Amino acid sequence: MSTSTSTQPAAGPGRAAHRNAANPGPGPSFFRVLNSEFIKFRTLLSTLILLVSTAIVVVGFGALSAWGTGQFADQASSDPEAAAAIAAQGGDLAVTVPTSGVAFAQLILGSLGVLLMSSEFTTGMARSTFAAVPKRLPAFIAKLVVVILSAFVVTAVSTYIAGLVAVPILDNFDLKLDLASSQSVKLLLVTSVYVAAVAAIGMALGTMLRNSAGGIMALVGLFFVAPIAFQLIPGDFFEEARKYLPGNTINPLTAVEHVPDTLEVWQAALVLGGWVVVPVVLAMVLLKKRDV
Amino acid sequence: MIEAEGLTKAYGDKTAVDGVSFTVQAGQVTGFLGPNGAGKSTTMRMIMGLDTPTAGTVTVNGVPFARHTAPLREIGALLDAKAVHTSRSAYNHLLAMAATHSIPRKRVHEVIDMTGLADVARKKVKGFSLGMGQRLGIAAALLGDPQTIILDEPVNGLDPEGVVWVRNLVKYLASEGRTVFLSSHLMSEMALTADHLIVIGRGKIIADAPIKDIITGKGQSRTRVRSDQPDRLMHVLAGTGVSVELQDHELLEVTGLDPRQIARSALDNHVLIYELTPLQASLEEAYMELTKDEVEYHSLITTGAPVPAQSGGN
Repeated sequence: MSTSTSTQPAAGPGRAAHRNAANPGPGPSFFRVLNSEFIKFRTLLSTLILLVSTAIVVVGFGALSAWGTGQFADQASSDPEAAAAIAAQGGDLAVTVPTSGVAFAQLILGSLGVLLMSSEFTTGMARSTFAAVPKRLPAFIAKLVVVILSAFVVTAVSTYIAGLVAVPILDNFDLKLDLASSQSVKLLLVTSVYVAAVAAIGMALGTMLRNSAGGIMALVGLFFVAPIAFQLIPGDFFEEARKYLPGNTINPLTAVEHVPDTLEVWQAALVLGGWVVVPVVLAMVLLKKRDV
Repeated sequence: MIEAEGLTKAYGDKTAVDGVSFTVQAGQVTGFLGPNGAGKSTTMRMIMGLDTPTAGTVTVNGVPFARHTAPLREIGALLDAKAVHTSRSAYNHLLAMAATHSIPRKRVHEVIDMTGLADVARKKVKGFSLGMGQRLGIAAALLGDPQTIILDEPVNGLDPEGVVWVRNLVKYLASEGRTVFLSSHLMSEMALTADHLIVIGRGKIIADAPIKDIITGKGQSRTRVRSDQPDRLMHVLAGTGVSVELQDHELLEVTGLDPRQIARSALDNHVLIYELTPLQASLEEAYMELTKDEVEYHSLITTGAPVPAQSGGN
């Protein structure tokens, strides 16, 4: 006979006393954690500032680039040498105009990726986050989804707006830009995926280093310093290794035709994928293992 | 119920928590008392699964924290005031926490009202005073209406009204049958709040007993005795577990015997005693006594001893 009700004489008439111990209520399922991470994402002013800055920079550079390209084409029409140079490139100059701000977008959104995780640790928020989700990895993956999606969407939308701004400017110089052409669409999508990948790398760095300045510097080192340093150091090894830096995968990925002595598209995609997967897995292992 | 078994946490060669075992029962307020650096917060972080024990286990209601299907509904914790992103508002912080467990918005408003944060809930936590940060931490701990509540130094930074509020809140929660585990380095606060006390010093459990027993200091009771033959009385009373200290001319302090035993010995041996005063230790004294060898950071007390002369001063 069960006499379990009498084993807790101290229990009063409060809510706690008549709760079903076996089923305390909903716990942290993945979609709930994703919702929580999205709330955290949208309730920080600094996040919104970085997203808006990205859009401004991408659109601004698109407009500047449209004007510069137009000027260049104007000169080319009166200078057969320049015209030959354009022809030799084999591509349409105007099509790359909307994505000309990508270098800055990757820096800003990569830093956002770093900050979203490093700030958890610098503010102590991590203790609340991982007390609510003690398995930790669901919270990490949910945040990664939010980071990747937001970086992709912001890059894609601002690139498209940059295109809309560039079209009338290019038109002044009799240059045509068709935003619906397969080349334009491909550039927009590949660039957005690339920036999302950089943001994911940023978040992995933020998780591993747990420090905002350190994470951002690591990201800058990887994407801006290393390519230049590798170029300056003499030797075949560095010349070859340079191709495999994550920041140098974007050119082969967006090239119209394969440029000699660069990675093939599939190779570049694999290299970039590796640069995302390895740090992300490492970050997950460390997050699971270390104390918060 | 919280059960720790041989719980150990070492950082390099420094052992913060050294093989502690204890049980925190439901339906009462259990105080966790110890000087700064004694291992209270580390122990609490291990209960919450934030720090992994070097050795030993700790369970909440029989299950390690991380294995609960709905952790926030089982255990609520205030581990640190401002375990919050300070650029977020209190409301949004609680909303994000609640979302992980599908806790309704209504409950978020409830805990905000309960902790008196209604006026500042929409403001950034950055501008909060320490006391408001504590209230937010308590609100977060109560969010899931948990059976077990862990509060690390909850009265730190609270004004007197807040201190009374916390005291009444934890007593009420315990009266509902919940497990309440409360840490503090303030013994006076514990004397008023806790039913049971676990005292920790340098990572080891020094005492684990009902608060009444700790205050009366079972086996530690002292008695002040005055006699015109102190030397003879000392000789008569001497025995195992008894310590007699001559404090002044004709004044003795006896530990390990109760007044009746002392009077009996004196009578049997024809020693005149003219004062027999049982000394009841305050919790503060009991605590100092318990932890005097375990304090990590001793204060340097300047007793007017001459300062060593600096040679070749300026």
